[in-house]
Amino acid sequence: MMKNTPVWFKALTLALIAIMGFIAGKEFYELRHYQESVVVSPAFTEKIMLSDYLPSLKGTWGDTPIYVFDSGVPGGSALILGGSHPYEPATMLAAYMIAENISVEKGKVYVAPVANRSANTLGMLGNAYPMFYHLETPFGTKQYKIGDRNTNPLDQWPDPFVYVHYPSGQNLAYQDLRNFNRTWPGKENGSLTERISYAFMELVRNEKIDIFVDFHEASLMYPVVDTYVAHDLSMDIAILAQMNLDTFKFPMKAEASPKKLRGLSHREVGDYSIDPELAKELYAAEEFTNAKNDYSEKLKIIEKSSHQTLVVLMETLEPFIERVAGRVDEDLMLIGFDEFIQTAADKRLLFAKYDTREGITMPIDIDGRGGYVVKGAPMYYRVARHMEGTLEVINMMNLLFPERELLITYPGFHDIMEAGTKKGNEAIGDFLHDPAKSDPKRVFFQ
Amino acid sequence: MIILNEIIHILYFVLTGVICIFLIWNLFKRTKKTGWVYDIVYAYVIITFILRVLMIK
Repeated sequence: MMKNTPVWFKALTLALIAIMGFIAGKEFYELRHYQESVVVSPAFTEKIMLSDYLPSLKGTWGDTPIYVFDSGVPGGSALILGGSHPYEPATMLAAYMIAENISVEKGKVYVAPVANRSANTLGMLGNAYPMFYHLETPFGTKQYKIGDRNTNPLDQWPDPFVYVHYPSGQNLAYQDLRNFNRTWPGKENGSLTERISYAFMELVRNEKIDIFVDFHEASLMYPVVDTYVAHDLSMDIAILAQMNLDTFKFPMKAEASPKKLRGLSHREVGDYSIDPELAKELYAAEEFTNAKNDYSEKLKIIEKSSHQTLVVLMETLEPFIERVAGRVDEDLMLIGFDEFIQTAADKRLLFAKYDTREGITMPIDIDGRGGYVVKGAPMYYRVARHMEGTLEVINMMNLLFPERELLITYPGFHDIMEAGTKKGNEAIGDFLHDPAKSDPKRVFFQ
Repeated sequence: MIILNEIIHILYFVLTGVICIFLIWNLFKRTKKTGWVYDIVYAYVIITFILRVLMIK
């Protein structure tokens, strides 16, 4: 039998490893509590909290700020979500950029830069992901978090053996109960993530949101990368926007939201953004009748509604989360150069256009702007795609649904790309504002 | 339902604490696998439980 080690050795081992734990713990703590700044544009009217639509979220890490920009002129309304999956940080940065630069001529815009705030309090440090990325701006270096895909287990734990989606009863992977884009349309008294989805649904229904845009990023081997995914009602606007973008601005695809893949925003927000009393009927029909298997049964309820939201999810390319990527560091997040992804591109295994050597040349627009060469997948390009993609679907909504007209402006694809081609990611800083020199009423930390 | 969820959530943290105490006890008082390598393994595992109980990770 091996001799027992002395107590002092055991205590020393524990102490040494406690020091390692303290160092790691400090980083986790810092990531959870770090606050990003945003200087909202002069068009800002009020900040609301998600818990205003579901009080049980108050005081939880699921509660998140939503910035409202109301022109005061009756018109359409939009809800823009960044950070549904905070490990897709261009989504949050694009939402911040919109919030910092938007002006609204007609209608009302709601921007939630970090839709799942809990997931943004946890990085994927186990995957050797960095905690933060940094952007150079004219007023110094700005630091942003790289969050996780799912809600932090500190806020929602344990996971079930199987996640049963509500109200369809569809079985999904266990961890998807913490995946904000698998819990739509949410559950009023469900898990934290289900309640976050439900609260956003309440916002959409009560404010009669006309268009809902959900920002995402995707790995390049995922067929839905660089794509609009549109609910049935918004298919026309998505297709028109996609054709316009693909011809004149940047590569873009569009596809229809599957009816039987449940829990995703592009399906559930579209179906459940109906009159509140009809939404209750739809929940009950799915839970207790065959409506979950027969979409025509659901349509009978949906079509009775006086209002339904146009829903579009947008994916842009993110080499950082590509499975075949090599070292995942801040450069990969910000510039997107990776030799393994390039090899995959050479073998035509990708669903996004990607070239680190010669670059991808963007189309020329009707006004002669364009022709930018994009090497890799720089952050400014991904942010510009989201911002322009949103403007384009709103323009198409104005065209096809004139009663929902929403007139907004902010820097578009060409503005960001022209600066980005000259300065790289530093160009993003040109569109951000210094919190220290801005009106304190428009400066927020979240 | 929310309260039930919360109770289960808290129970898991309590369980984590109990396991953590159990592991510390075993680090010092175990009678089998008494080599120094196991001391390191026990100490290393304990840290993860402490980080969870302190709501850090």
